[in-house]
Amino acid sequence: MKRFLYLICILIAASGCKEVFEAPPQSFLKVSFLNSSTKATISPKVSVLGVGLENMWVKDSVLKEILLPLSVNDATSYLISLDAKNDTITFIHETIQKYASMESGFYFEYKLQSIDFTNNRIDSILITDSLVTKKWNENIKLYVHPLPSGNN
Amino acid sequence: MGMDATRPFQDLWTKGNRYGSEFSFDMELRPNWFPVFESGYEVIKLNTNYIEYTGQGSYSRIGIDYNFLQAEHKNDKDVLFFGLRYGFSIARQKVDRYLVDSYWGTVNGHFGNQNYFAHWGEFLVGIKGEIFHNFYLGWTIRGKVKMNHTEMELPPVYFIPGYGKAEKGFTMDFTYSVYYNIPWDFRKKNRVVKTVIKK
Repeated sequence: MKRFLYLICILIAASGCKEVFEAPPQSFLKVSFLNSSTKATISPKVSVLGVGLENMWVKDSVLKEILLPLSVNDATSYLISLDAKNDTITFIHETIQKYASMESGFYFEYKLQSIDFTNNRIDSILITDSLVTKKWNENIKLYVHPLPSGNN
Repeated sequence: MGMDATRPFQDLWTKGNRYGSEFSFDMELRPNWFPVFESGYEVIKLNTNYIEYTGQGSYSRIGIDYNFLQAEHKNDKDVLFFGLRYGFSIARQKVDRYLVDSYWGTVNGHFGNQNYFAHWGEFLVGIKGEIFHNFYLGWTIRGKVKMNHTEMELPPVYFIPGYGKAEKGFTMDFTYSVYYNIPWDFRKKNRVVKTVIKK
């Protein structure tokens, strides 16, 4: 009986650090920036705002690639500023609910169907992987018109 | 007949709030062979920042134990045994609330009751020792091998009462039980018969 009480004490002590629950993973659409003339990777100054939202996702950051979260609706639109030239990109996608674990809950993955965009700074967009998952693979190559100064 | 004293306190060593009760019945029908029936009910509740889950259900096991100890006298019923079980469970689960946070806002949802069936096999070792007249204490250590459970798309089965996490093909468990021996002495009868044959 004494040994059993010791066992219970050990289990109670061990239980103090058991309730650790991780957040569910997140899926991001990964965008790479390339010069439309040279096809080389570039690093423009990027600002990104979700259409209809107030908080910037990214503000004035020099990046060669960016991770974008998609919404659970069928379409997700962003205002994207590349070296102070603004464009709008709309991702048309299917949203798929996924199970992470019963401790963390659920998350969403997406299947890109098409992309609409304006052409102020963006030349073209190539979908390299239509599945937007928690693994954050490159999903699109975004070809950007070179600046007149030839910085890119 | 016995009652497992560990089932109400399982949340001390498992994630979430898991508790239940379990009773067992066995009888020495042949010398050292004990057919066993065990039955119980278990509940698990998880409440995190992202999800609120409840799984609950009943389970039963049937099987047999074999005692390795030689009785020193006719009233010696202490046992060291190896056993096999077939277990099955009928259970249900539900997600009362889940939450997914993102830049685009928070998504809330829930999943209603889902019913499922599961079954598994167990092998175990254990002991029972008499502490008072006809009252026994004993423990078992069990290995459980899942055979199958109902497949569901979303969410999948998370918890199988009597078994543990459904995603695992093998689980370990232990029990610590209190037993009462109903004073029907089958062994005595058998011993007498053997003695007569020897003479």
